[in-house]
This record gives sequence, C-alpha cells and structure tokens, in this order.
Amino acid sequence: MRSRSQQSSWISIFQKYQGFVGLAALLAAAAILVRPQFFSASNFANILNQLAVPGLLAVGMTFVILTGGIDLSVGSLLGLLNCVCATWLVAGHSTPATITFVLVLGTTVGACIGGFISITKMQPFVVTLAAMVSLRGFAYVYTNNANVSGLGDKLDFLLAPHFGVPTNAWVMLAITILALIVLWRTVFGRYVYALGGNEQAARYAGIPLTKVRIGAYAINGLCVAAASLIYTARNTNGSPDGGVGFELDAITAVVVGGTSLVGGNGNIIGTFLGALFIVCLNILLVLKGVNTYMSMGWKGIVILVAVYLQSIGRNKDS
Amino acid sequence: MKNLLPLLALLFIAGCSSGHDGNNTSTPSNGNSPQASSGDKPLVVFSQANSQDPWRKVFDATTKAEADKHAADFTYEAQDASGKSENQNNIIDTFMVKNPKVMLVSPNDLSVTKAVEKAFDKGVSVILLDRDISGEKYTCYIGGDNKQIGREAGKYVATKLNGKGTVLMIQGLANVTATKDRADGFMEVIKTFPGIKVIAGDDCSFQRKKARDYMESFLQKGEAIDCVYAHNDEMAIGARLAWDANPKGKAPLFVGIDACQKEVVDMIKSGKMDATFQYPTPGAMGIQVAAELLKGNKPKERRIILPTVLVDKASADKYLTDNPNLEK
Repeated sequence: MRSRSQQSSWISIFQKYQGFVGLAALLAAAAILVRPQFFSASNFANILNQLAVPGLLAVGMTFVILTGGIDLSVGSLLGLLNCVCATWLVAGHSTPATITFVLVLGTTVGACIGGFISITKMQPFVVTLAAMVSLRGFAYVYTNNANVSGLGDKLDFLLAPHFGVPTNAWVMLAITILALIVLWRTVFGRYVYALGGNEQAARYAGIPLTKVRIGAYAINGLCVAAASLIYTARNTNGSPDGGVGFELDAITAVVVGGTSLVGGNGNIIGTFLGALFIVCLNILLVLKGVNTYMSMGWKGIVILVAVYLQSIGRNKDS
Repeated sequence: MKNLLPLLALLFIAGCSSGHDGNNTSTPSNGNSPQASSGDKPLVVFSQANSQDPWRKVFDATTKAEADKHAADFTYEAQDASGKSENQNNIIDTFMVKNPKVMLVSPNDLSVTKAVEKAFDKGVSVILLDRDISGEKYTCYIGGDNKQIGREAGKYVATKLNGKGTVLMIQGLANVTATKDRADGFMEVIKTFPGIKVIAGDDCSFQRKKARDYMESFLQKGEAIDCVYAHNDEMAIGARLAWDANPKGKAPLFVGIDACQKEVVDMIKSGKMDATFQYPTPGAMGIQVAAELLKGNKPKERRIILPTVLVDKASADKYLTDNPNLEK
C-alpha cells in the first residue's frame, strides 16, 4: 500500500476501475465495428440472457478469491446440479421442491469444500481440483452417462421477460446486489477481506477464520446452484458434461474485474463488469464473424493484460 | 516509462478488437451503409456443433466451398461451438441479432432445441444438418442414413465372402445412434446368410488407437477371421495397423465407413483396405437448399436423405476427383 501512494496516483485509480475501463474500451470497439447490431434492443436481451450463468458464477467466485482461495470445481458442480435438477423434474417432483433441493445441495457442497480446506489446511487449488474431478464423475454415475431430457416447460418462467429483461437476468442482478451489500455492509464481508488480506493478522484479531471460509465457499455453492437452474432452463435437459470449463470463465471475469488472485482486494461491481466484458467480447467476436479458435486466443490475451495491469503496483512491493 | 505501460496495454486491447477487421472477409464493417453490416445481400449463417473430427472438417470445407460459389447471392458466416451445447445456444442467439434469412444448424445435441425453435419462430428458415432437434420447428433436414449404409456394407461383405466366414465387428461409441444404426443395418443383411458368423467386438469409441489396442489383443487369441467391419474408417485403419504389426496368414477384408479421409482412399488403392462407404456431408446440399429458399423455392422434400457411395479399388480414383475436399 505504501509504495502505491508513491506511484503516480492514476495507476491505482485505473486499477480500481479496471473492469469499467476495459468494458468502456470494448464498447467503444463495438461502436466502431458493429454499431447497429450491437446496440440494438434484441442484442440487449441477448447479452442479458448470456450473462446470467457466467455472471452468477463470477459473483460466487469473487467471495472465494477474496479469501485468498480459488474454486476449480464450479463447472463440475454446475454439471452435477444440472443433472440433479433435470432428473428431479422428469421424475415428477414439483418445481419449487426441485429448486429448493438444488439450492440446498449446491450450498452444502460448497460448505463442505470450504470446511475441508479449513480442517486439512490443504491448498484450495488442490482440494477443488479433486472436487472438480469427483463431482464430474458423480454426474456421469448419477445419469449413467446419458442426457436427461423431457423437462417440458417447467423452468420456462426463468426465461420469460419482465419489463424487457429476462427473469434470469433479474435473478442475477438481485444476487449481485445482495452480494454487494454483504461484502460492503456486513461484518462477514469485512472478515472475508481480512482473511484474504492477511490471514495471520486476521487470526490474531480473533476472526473466526473457519466459519468465514465455510461461509464464502457456501455462498459460492449457492451461486453455482442458481446458475445451474438457469442453465437447465436454457438447455431444457440435464447433461453430465454440462459446464465444462465454466470455472475458467468465472475466474477470468473476476480477474478482469480487478479482483486480485492473492485475495483481500477487489469488489463485486468489478466482477459484474468483468462478466459483462467477457460476454460482450464473445458476442462481439461472433457478430464480427471471428473464428471460434481465434476468439480463444484473444480471450487469453485479455486475461494476460488484465492480470499484468493488476500486478504493476504489487511487483514494486516485493 | 513504467507509467506508460498501462496506457500501452489499453491501446493494445483496443487495437486487438479493431484488428478483427483484417481477419474478416465476409462482412463490410461500418462504412457508409446505414443498415446492418451484411449490406444489401441476405445473410446465411451456419452453426456447426464442432470442427474437430475429420468428418466435420470435410463437412466445413465442403459447406464453405459451396457457399463461395454463391458469394454473389448471399453473405455466408459460420461459427463452431467446439462441441458445447451452451456455446451453440449463445451463438444461435447472437446470430439472430444479425437478422439472417437462412440458418444452417448441425445441432450438438437436443439441448439446442429451444434456441433453434426461437429462430424458426422469428421467421428464419432453419436447415438441420446431420442431427435432429426434438421438435418440428425446422424447414428441412438433410443427412445421411446410417442404417442404409450398414445394409450396403452387409451386402458388400456377404458377396465378398460368398456367404461364408467370420466377421469381427469393431464398434463405435455405445450410446450413439450412428453406432446402433451401422450395426443394425449390417446385421439385418448378414442374418440372411447363415454361413456368416459375426463376433461383436469392443466399443472402440471411433478411435484409431483404441481399435488398434483392441485388435492387438484380439489377434493374440488366434481366432481366425475373414473380415473386419469397423463402424468408421479410423477404427478400420487401427485394426489394419495391428494386423500389419503381427500378420498371421492371409489378411482378412477391412471395411470401414465415412470415406472422408484421403488416407483411407489411398489405403484402398494400395490394397491395405478393401472398401469404405461414404457417410455424406450435408453442408453443400444445405447451401443449395438455402440458395433456393432465398429465391422463394421450398425444397420438395422436408427430409432429404443423401445416398452413400461405395469406395473400393475400382472406384477410388473417381472418388478422389469427385471429392476434392477430403481430409488429408
């Protein structure tokens, strides 16, 4: 912190608003390249529809990353919950019961992962890597490696628009605002920052680290569960290989939004803008007709640039 | 100097985005046209499930080649979903922003049904290629008939063996319809020849390496076979490689399916393989139907089934000239 104040202040201002600056640059590019299509009402709905799942995953991931952890298992968990949700609906359970069960299951799995990390003191990377493999395996076993179809229109209400905005986008916005309040205005939120900022100091200050960590991972699990419901509504089936690679999209959104992978530094608004950035980038590339594999290359470059910008001040610290 | 770096990086991001202009040949960007960037020409889009296996690569190449012939009539754009349904949903939704007239889709699986139906409801003509969706909201379907291909292969094998012998059938992925149809059609014909015995081989997932490993173990048993029928060429090649590494007497017949690789046709010419049956790629026909739809002509049939072609030593050269876009 000390060295940053010595640097010219606009770098730190820039770092703070990195997600916003990145998004502004992207929108400017869109304005030049594909203006009439990109800034149309139908594309507005399109962006919001595509934003819900990665947006929710990124909000959950922000909690985990702020504690100094990481969760590689969210893609697999989403795939498993997608299968559970589809199977329950096909088996004839009521929609509210299914939604409740999926949300509780997701939260529980998240809490278990957080608890496991706290108790064993293993690195979150390793624990969630193992969870990523196992949960994907469960999804295959649970469905006998077959897609679950025949849901009908039971989850269609999640896609229906209200005031021109699809319900799934309202859900995402509501959870994002809740997360914002939790991190800014609650004791738990301050503890999350404290844990990621300096674990040693947080322990000496008497912060209940285990509870905070379990809470952060549980919130992440809840966000994954909400995302899996929207995912199921959009796909109208359960697929054991659903959500492969989603964890990387979520981490990318968080990082592009200016949250430090070291923990303790960042915020939800940045994450929201980061997720919006990724979705808009994807859409822009499709509208411009850029080849899929070329797009992957550009996305990688964007991540590198974002992380580099974050690291400028911190490199000086060490 | 250090203070300049973020600025440079930002410029770089902006530069990357505008750099796409150079990569893209099909759509004129901003320019003077106040309309959408596709200009005056109607837009035909193609959402491919994945472009990873050899058959899909030929599929892409033939579609593009046919679209180039119609470059004066419409603008053509393709995106591939890397085998992920969620990608394909997003791509189809984003395509709709561009107001295409016709959309070709090769669905990744049934999960993209909703996105396709939404496009159809919007008034876009939808041409399904190779795979179906779970509803009826499409203009036309174009694909091959795996069961018929299986029957043709069965007839070929029965004739070559004079109705007598043992066939090892190397199977594709277990719960895929192509596997089931290629097996069922084949067995339907073979059952009428009581002198032919079929050994149901392992699921080798359409992969060369797995088929080779399996064939190596199978040959260890010393069981005599007169023919290897594999559910695709890659597995037939794998089986042949295993045989070549450890040949025992006269080589059996090697019969595959797909005929989308030059490698296979070359092997047939040199006698390493005996025959393969083309699993036709539907892209070129899809573009032709799209061109007719733009002129206002609906296809006569709603489901167009493409015939297969037998490739053996006699027809190999002609096949190569007829199909210039084969995978190398």
